[in-house]
Amino acid sequence: MTRRSLRSWLWVHKWTSLVCTLFLLIICVTGLPLVLKDELEALLDGGLPYAQVPAGTPNVSLDRLAARSRTMYPGEIILSILSDDDEPKIVVFMAASWDAFKADRKSAHWIRFDAHTGQVLKQSKPFDGDGKSFLDIMLSLHRDLFAGLPGELFMGLMALLFVIAIASGAVVYGPFMRKLDFGTLRAAGSSRLKWLDLHNMIGVVTLAWALVVGVTGVINELSTPLFVLWQQTDVRAILAPLRGEPVPPQSELSSPQAALDTVKAEAPDMIATSVVFPGSPFGSPYHYLVWTKGQTPLTSRLFSPVLVNARSGALVSVVSMPWYLRVLEISRPLHFGDYGGMPLKIIWILLDIATILVLGSGIYLWLSRHSSVAAEDRLVASHHASALSPLRGPAP
Amino acid sequence: MNGSKVRRSLGRIWRWPALLAALTAFGLLSALIGQTGFWWAWSWIALAAPLAVIVWCAGKSLLRFQV
Repeated sequence: MTRRSLRSWLWVHKWTSLVCTLFLLIICVTGLPLVLKDELEALLDGGLPYAQVPAGTPNVSLDRLAARSRTMYPGEIILSILSDDDEPKIVVFMAASWDAFKADRKSAHWIRFDAHTGQVLKQSKPFDGDGKSFLDIMLSLHRDLFAGLPGELFMGLMALLFVIAIASGAVVYGPFMRKLDFGTLRAAGSSRLKWLDLHNMIGVVTLAWALVVGVTGVINELSTPLFVLWQQTDVRAILAPLRGEPVPPQSELSSPQAALDTVKAEAPDMIATSVVFPGSPFGSPYHYLVWTKGQTPLTSRLFSPVLVNARSGALVSVVSMPWYLRVLEISRPLHFGDYGGMPLKIIWILLDIATILVLGSGIYLWLSRHSSVAAEDRLVASHHASALSPLRGPAP
Repeated sequence: MNGSKVRRSLGRIWRWPALLAALTAFGLLSALIGQTGFWWAWSWIALAAPLAVIVWCAGKSLLRFQV
């Protein structure tokens, strides 16, 4: 590497880091509780417990739960029904009408049923009346700083700078370590030297993990535009032949349970996780959209939508997902660390803390930048000298 | 050895970091692709390696400082 290119890489590392560090610190700190999101949610839930039932007890019919929900909220419509495969629960999402829901997504609410007994376990208030939970606040800070899509894109940009900072950090790592053994922490040196060694050591040791979580973070922040792209291309093409037909009123819909059974018969290896009702902005105007997923750790992250005619109940098509949504789906577990049990989550938290140490030491190194400028000059000068001298030979 | 004047080759500088990066990649993928607890366990071991190295380096430095 020439003197000039080393200087350029140092400049890139310094400035990409400086711009993103504050936001990355927010992301890392709020990410700590989010790793344990499922566990904390279960702990803070306050709903009734699931009924103890013999193994193999079948789920109650979605039709029964749909009818029950409509009786509880006369005149309201069902938006979708979620059927969890991890827990024996079925959640019915409702709103006053599709127009009301489209005007204000937060006007929706849900009822959670026990999947085996049909008992109501918990009801939400309307989403805006519930107040934000601790985890909601953490997620907003982590994902969009309470700023919706612009916030997502901004945090995505910060994550991209973080990725560039990691890559440029790796490039300048070599020149720093020319005269040092791996992992050396010069404890006897100046305070700045100690933090520099710590920054380099933890940074390079966690390099691959931080890179993966950074890149998948960028991809996750793009999920909103990616889904819009899919809706406006593939989904629009599928629905084109039916354009202009009215959305069937909920009283004229075929059975949602029958739609689920049809999908299960068509794809016996798949697990159906939710039924989105016709008219939803997240579905089709004319079909039940049934989301299905596979059963292995990897394929359980890959969802495929199946369309069922919501008047006749006939299967229409299994929609194949575009590559960019598959990439997004694989990015989720690699970002969340929720795919290898509790030990993996704990490792995720510890690696997150290690990243906080790298960020913090980076800030310290910048704050002590008077000696930093001198140190950079020395590094560049000695690198130049080493480039002239034979590799591994004694320093001149 | 520390701070000695011997200049290290790129291969030597990157030997440990490259090994840890390979272990990390293996750990991230084995829990995702593997379908049994066996692969989960290997994933935990592989991904704990960078953490173990941090503790080892910090411990080594603390010990030397006390002597």
